[in-house]
Amino acid sequence: MAYLVRNDIVQYACTCGQLRPISFLYFCRHCLKLRCGYCVCHEVESHYCSNCLEILPSAEARLKKNRHVPKHIRKCQACFDCPNCLNTLAVRGTTVSVRDPEDPSKVNSQKKYYHACFFCRWTTRDVGLPDQAVQTVSANGWAQKNTSNLQRITVLLEHAKLLGMLERHEREQREKKFTTRFRRNFSHLPGLTAAHVRKRAGLPPELPAPSTIKVNLAEFQPAVAKDTVQELPSDIFTEELDISRVTTLAQRFAQPETQPENIEDLLPMYKHLSTKQSQRCRECEHNVSKPELNPSSIKFKIQQAAYFHVPEVRFVTIEPPIGGKPSEVVILFINPSQHPTTLSFITLQEAEDEMKQYHSEGSADTSVQQGEAPPSLSSLTKPVTVVEEQKPIDISLTGEVLLPAPDIEIILPPKDDAAEYDDSGETQQFHDDPKIVIHRRANKASLRFTVVPKTDFIGENCVIGFAFRYTYVNRISSPAISTSEQKPQKVQLCTRVFMNCGKILEGTQ
Amino acid sequence: MIKTYYESGSLSTERQAVVIEFGNCYTKVGFAGEAGPRSIVPSEVRSLKDGRTRKVFDAVKADDQYNLLVEFIHNLYFRHLLVSPKDRRVVVVESVLCPTAIREMLAKVFFVHFEVSSLLFVPSHVVALSTLGVNTALVVDMGATETVVIPVCEGVAVLHAWQAQPLAAKAVEGQISDMLKEREKSDPLEAEGYNNLTEKIIEDIKVRACFVTTLERTQKAREGKPCPCPPSINYLVGPGSNKINISGDVRENAFNILFEQDADQISVSTMMLDAITKCPIDMRKPLAENILLIGGTSMAVGMKARIQEELNFLVSSPQYSEKLKLRTFKFHTPPAKENYTAWLGGAIYGATDIVSTRSLSKEAYLKDRKVPDWVSLIYNTLNEGVKRSV
Amino acid sequence: MSSLSTHDAKPKHDLKIATHAIVCHESKLKGDITIGAHTIVHPRATIIAEAGPIIIGEFNIIEEQAHIINRLPPGADPSTQIVMEIGNGNVFEVDCLFESTKMGDQNVMEVKSHVGPGVEITSGCIIGAGCKLTGKEILPENTVVYGRNCARRIAMDKPPMQNLQIEFLTKTLVNYHHLKKPRSANS
Repeated sequence: MAYLVRNDIVQYACTCGQLRPISFLYFCRHCLKLRCGYCVCHEVESHYCSNCLEILPSAEARLKKNRHVPKHIRKCQACFDCPNCLNTLAVRGTTVSVRDPEDPSKVNSQKKYYHACFFCRWTTRDVGLPDQAVQTVSANGWAQKNTSNLQRITVLLEHAKLLGMLERHEREQREKKFTTRFRRNFSHLPGLTAAHVRKRAGLPPELPAPSTIKVNLAEFQPAVAKDTVQELPSDIFTEELDISRVTTLAQRFAQPETQPENIEDLLPMYKHLSTKQSQRCRECEHNVSKPELNPSSIKFKIQQAAYFHVPEVRFVTIEPPIGGKPSEVVILFINPSQHPTTLSFITLQEAEDEMKQYHSEGSADTSVQQGEAPPSLSSLTKPVTVVEEQKPIDISLTGEVLLPAPDIEIILPPKDDAAEYDDSGETQQFHDDPKIVIHRRANKASLRFTVVPKTDFIGENCVIGFAFRYTYVNRISSPAISTSEQKPQKVQLCTRVFMNCGKILEGTQ
Repeated sequence: MIKTYYESGSLSTERQAVVIEFGNCYTKVGFAGEAGPRSIVPSEVRSLKDGRTRKVFDAVKADDQYNLLVEFIHNLYFRHLLVSPKDRRVVVVESVLCPTAIREMLAKVFFVHFEVSSLLFVPSHVVALSTLGVNTALVVDMGATETVVIPVCEGVAVLHAWQAQPLAAKAVEGQISDMLKEREKSDPLEAEGYNNLTEKIIEDIKVRACFVTTLERTQKAREGKPCPCPPSINYLVGPGSNKINISGDVRENAFNILFEQDADQISVSTMMLDAITKCPIDMRKPLAENILLIGGTSMAVGMKARIQEELNFLVSSPQYSEKLKLRTFKFHTPPAKENYTAWLGGAIYGATDIVSTRSLSKEAYLKDRKVPDWVSLIYNTLNEGVKRSV
Repeated sequence: MSSLSTHDAKPKHDLKIATHAIVCHESKLKGDITIGAHTIVHPRATIIAEAGPIIIGEFNIIEEQAHIINRLPPGADPSTQIVMEIGNGNVFEVDCLFESTKMGDQNVMEVKSHVGPGVEITSGCIIGAGCKLTGKEILPENTVVYGRNCARRIAMDKPPMQNLQIEFLTKTLVNYHHLKKPRSANS
């Protein structure tokens, strides 16, 4: 399986021009194109705490429900990180003997809990935080201390919002002169989200009268500059500095609002959440990968990985590549799909021309569709899709590969899990050219290619590239086609592959 | 009572905008309307291929730069902000001196790759003032590579008076590195420690051991009557725990590079006075009495005290006593740490209606594929901006 | 001083194991080694006294593949005697390497940690997993060394004593391993 991890042996060219091993690629079953992590749209599916595995389905929803806690959203409420080394803190229990308040001679033992880091051995006791009586410690014990800043910032925020409103008010007054209220059409307004437009078109939120805004603005107290600044402590010139008691930048930035400078001021931090992400094809907006919500599950609801659909290419044997000398390379092709597929080989140039043609047709198609789109899918609700422009493939070919003629077709039978255990031998006949096909078994075929490494790249890796066509059975019936054609569609697709045959050696003569 | 207005307003239902301040060394990232950034992260990307870390803004080729930015911003969204970038507003707090190429590139990354719904560039010096509620101030941004001084009057940056010099964190770190190398020669026993000094370690030494000394001591040292050095520190370098000695001289005088007037007689403090001098005479007093220091370098221990001393000293020196008749210099204390004050300004801006009216929308960008320059469009000619959005 | 001469003559008898110590037979012990009471030496642990005697105190745990080596410094005269002293209540975890000459009480050498010959370890120190200390220094009490860059901090308390673990090992190891017989220094 090393080839799955080594990402520089066999690389496929994604539709966007990135080179990735097949295990890094998606295959959109709607567009019938390869997609990679670079050209899909990533979305945050759910938040979870990597320590206690609690799911917090939508931080956004929580924000709406309880607007008093937006501060710590996207942080786990029950788990903490060590402020010293930034690893997760563990809860530790101890028994503490406490003198009975009523009878001083009696000693009661009490269970107490504190947090400790198993990595750097930092504990909440180090900074003098009291032990807690319950195991699920909330942060009450060490509430953030910068409340004075928070109050001031709230005032500043209100002030800025009032100013913004005043400005909007003035502008709306100006606009009123030109347009009447009823003929106002907001649909062409750029810069507003659909929700915003609806809100404004339907029931515009009434702005308070400018006079009240001005009254409120007048209440605001701007900051006053002082002519005294924080002095340099004079003992800095005489006192020994214990550098181990000064925090590092990483420790400071982990608590951006307080940025403590002494290790005594470090407080446990709420654990930052992790996310589960889904990937969406940018062209058709279908998911290519969607995980299950449960953080402890590693399964996917949707997983259109390329290795379920696109024939896989592996090296079987390589003759050491020698500059200028043809060497034989045996490459294995595996059909991962449930349908037979037919392979044929073309050069990269041919494949590129083909793609260009397809691309221009494709763009013509979409423009027609947009024109016919029902009114519900107007440009207002359906945002413009933006697709990254294709990039040229960033690899230089250092070897040439002699491909079989493009009309030679190799049929690969479908993948059959049961056949793996079937020793009865092949019953099907494929009438292969024995010069090309050396070996066959179930859904796999080993083909022989000839590679001629270029002489001027001796010492570098011999990189060859070619493209192959394969037939793909599209079992997804799009609503437009489903009425006329219920049968699965058979389409011919093309994929470009780049393979690294190893270092080119010098000829021996 | 004031609260009710905007709670019923259009913004309360809208998703919070993302506010990002890209820095050469550290990037601050968080949400509009919040009191502090979610994360302050090194502006670095770890390469998947060879595991090296690269600075995001170090790329030479445009292609390379684009890929670095994509990867870096992807990390910001999915590791730090934990929200989907698509259809969410973005506010970028940028320096006025940010090259157009970088801004265009950022716009392309945000709109084309991340499909954000709108993008608003706000100038860091101007928005930093919204953390104070004042409109006029001399804003001094001491960042990683440069110190930029810009006077802001009534909310408008006085651009012809700006001053920028590479007198910032990198200069101090270079100085520490040079001073330590000097020591290495005299102390061959600790050579192993000195050989392993990386950029990160020099930065750590600067942050944890060094401070800004007083003007008085520097002057005495210049006159050849140096005061006794502060105590030295033993510092352990790298995994081998090689010990090096950081002398009191390094600790005390590394930051002096910012205040030594070089051949052109420029230091951080003269930059501030020069900026004031270039402003109209009626603005000078309010500027001198409203000084705002932002940027991580201004957080160094003793920095503010030193700047104040320097200003008071310089203004009575022959260099400036003729030009400037200023007596007092007053400093603001924003409700934030200096290194994210500009970010906080952006976060306050991003929570208002301005973000919906003045942003560059996705549709507008895709039509022209151009970012309007903030100087021309957003601040100076308001009418044009209105025409665009209606 | 007479005992010194006998060492040289019959090196096999240099191993001194106190009565309550558990020293598994599969451990590799070489040279003049004294093991205190209640100390556990797991199978496959290696203790080599090359440059001089190793004296290990009480209540220590020396786990599998732990190496405690009293090495001759390169180029030193082979006749010099260097005594390695290890105090009480220390834990040497799997695959750690200890080459220093002095260790106090209640220290923990975590998995794959390495303490070079120049580092003197006092008491209550924790050398974190994978950390290497190769310089020349005296580690102050309660130092914790952790992480990729061997960051350090001073802890409030010493790591807890492993008495329960020692008790457990004393009972179980006997059931599965042959032990080296306790032998006092005098016998």
